[in-house]
Amino acid sequence: MKELVEHTEGINRLMARYGVKFGIYKGGEFHEQLFPFDAIPRVITHDDFQQLEKGLIQRVNALNLFLNDIYSEKKIIKDGVIPEEFVFISSGYLPQCEGIMPTKNIYSHISGIDLVLGKDGEWYILEDNLRIPSGASYPMIAREICRRVSPATFSNNSVVDNRNYAAMLRQTMDWVNTGGIPVIMTPGRYNAAYFEHSYLAERTGSELATCTDLFVEDNFLYYRDYREKKQKVGVIYRRISDEYLDPMTFNPESLIGIPNIMDVYRSGNVAIVNAPGNGVADDKGIYYFVPKMIRYYLDQEPILKNAPTYLPFYDEDRKYVLDNLEKLVIKDVAEAGGYGVIFGNELSSEKLSEMKKLIEKESRRFIAQEVVDFQDMEVMEGEDRVLRKADLRAFVLSGETTQVWPGGLTRFSRNADSFVVNSSQGGGFKDTWVLSQWKK
Amino acid sequence: MRKLKFKYSMELKFSSPVSRHYFALRCVPGDSLRQKITVAECRVSPADYTSADKDGFGNLKISGSCRRLHDMFSYYVAGTAVVQGMTVQKCPLHPMYRYPSKYTEPGPGITAFAEKVSQKCKRQGTETAMERAVCAMHDLYTRFQYIPGVTDIGTTAEQALMQGKGVCQDYAHIMIAVMRQMGIPARYVNGLMIGEGATHAWVEIYTDGGWYGLDPTNDLHIDDYYIKLAHGRDYADCVVDKGIFLGNASQEQKIYVNVEEISDGRDSSVNGTAGGREADDPEKPDHADTSHRG
Repeated sequence: MKELVEHTEGINRLMARYGVKFGIYKGGEFHEQLFPFDAIPRVITHDDFQQLEKGLIQRVNALNLFLNDIYSEKKIIKDGVIPEEFVFISSGYLPQCEGIMPTKNIYSHISGIDLVLGKDGEWYILEDNLRIPSGASYPMIAREICRRVSPATFSNNSVVDNRNYAAMLRQTMDWVNTGGIPVIMTPGRYNAAYFEHSYLAERTGSELATCTDLFVEDNFLYYRDYREKKQKVGVIYRRISDEYLDPMTFNPESLIGIPNIMDVYRSGNVAIVNAPGNGVADDKGIYYFVPKMIRYYLDQEPILKNAPTYLPFYDEDRKYVLDNLEKLVIKDVAEAGGYGVIFGNELSSEKLSEMKKLIEKESRRFIAQEVVDFQDMEVMEGEDRVLRKADLRAFVLSGETTQVWPGGLTRFSRNADSFVVNSSQGGGFKDTWVLSQWKK
Repeated sequence: MRKLKFKYSMELKFSSPVSRHYFALRCVPGDSLRQKITVAECRVSPADYTSADKDGFGNLKISGSCRRLHDMFSYYVAGTAVVQGMTVQKCPLHPMYRYPSKYTEPGPGITAFAEKVSQKCKRQGTETAMERAVCAMHDLYTRFQYIPGVTDIGTTAEQALMQGKGVCQDYAHIMIAVMRQMGIPARYVNGLMIGEGATHAWVEIYTDGGWYGLDPTNDLHIDDYYIKLAHGRDYADCVVDKGIFLGNASQEQKIYVNVEEISDGRDSSVNGTAGGREADDPEKPDHADTSHRG
């Protein structure tokens, strides 16, 4: 590991050369930023990972069952487990997807589940990302480079070889393929995750396409290659959000979508990865209900815990939230990417009472959480080791079975006092080592 | 029960040729307990392909494309409808029709209007959802003026109400917003009505295990003279004719709707605008120009 730390600069330089970047919009301008890599890994023991794996598989299976239910029978609502307003007011709920049966009944093929490790040694789920979770490519390429810098580090420490993400992803895509080529669709090179789109396309052997390369004909989706040859698409891993996917069904202003692709999808003539409409299940308001979903659909006790969460929608919770606002984190359910997160202890008394009024007025709009006291991680800052907050995005792939990638994206905050680790808010990442059972 | 003969045509002319034209049409009435439809003719041209399926709301939708250059686009649907206006198909309520949607988000105007109607109903001892809906419809009809050209397809219920005038789409949006505010599930309906003119929009409310139609533009219950095309939370969910194309062209749209009654053996077809009902102004073109597409 010492060897890796010594090579941090070199590793970062190599990653910059490979184009490991993410884009960010600031003041209306597009900038590409490097995503700084810290060589000290997050280490997860074999036993810890096994538990994590079980919990994540359970959670993602329940979320997939929930999505199947919501877009068909809605039993969980009829049975009074989730109040209907949390589902049908959610901007992620898309009635246009009602009655669609995705191939093999999978909605969330690639789930990015964000967790933190509490000081009590327990993992807590922070949020589920079931739309188009990004970030797998960063630890993939970091591992690739680190292994070249110091191959012995990985064998000496019995680190599970996780260079199989692309293979897992391709298998997941193949499992739902309706008969045609696999395609990864990108909105274009000005997208925050363009590097990842091109990298994953290359590594999975999929075509990288933009909307101009794809079109619908005879209720099938086609890809037109550079020789103008058209090929039928069987599975599209689209890296554009639902609202831009099909201007004929969703936002009519979208210029980056594929007109009528939703009809092809409804007819079962193409698989869309992840399925449109998943936003209803990773809504911050729905998060509260995931443990209930696990009990409802699987008849099991949740293995992984949610961070203690309150819904001001319920009278009892609202009272608690209003009384304890200064020690809670408030999240606006409509926001994502670290935006709309408010720490009660950072608010002036004036802002605090404004917030209370807002919560009383729009109780459905917010959730409140206890600040999880999570373990700090060591990060190199120059020559020094400093402590920073970090989370883990685990990648869970659902195909023939549900599997957890032995690794993940560990992100850390740049500032000592910040809890927000989203890459769009600054910060860096680490490799995540899962140790094998066969420890030397 | 009445037997109606309907014709519905749309013709779009482009000032210069366009290409990569995709469309989604909800111009064919669907079969149900209240309306038995026989489609005699359905033409869409030019088209590389067409494909028909139900959409997420249960409406019949025809989608297709014309990718080559063309300077006109049209469709024509004709057939007969046996309508039993008072027959209502019992069905479970989808909860989404209880909550505000894009065009029906209540503002202060809608909230105040709904409050006023609720109080009036309370005073009059009006209790059933249908009676309260009719009360709201009547109040809306009285305070809102039918004037074409002052609103457009992007006008919300709140905006239209504040303006005090508009067309059938606005009447329907306001009525839906008010209904939902009063706790009555409601949805938007597109369709054809007796006479000559264009497509029309009205409202359905959910009560007694089924959907019942009301036409706030005319202050009437939906009867045998209406043929339904599609429904949704609001206008955006069930646009009759939606298109997107590549090209920098201005467009001219002609819509023709004719619905007349066929009385078996007798020649007493109702024609023209029946019973002082207001047919709508020709629908505004909804073929969005995408000439800026890269």
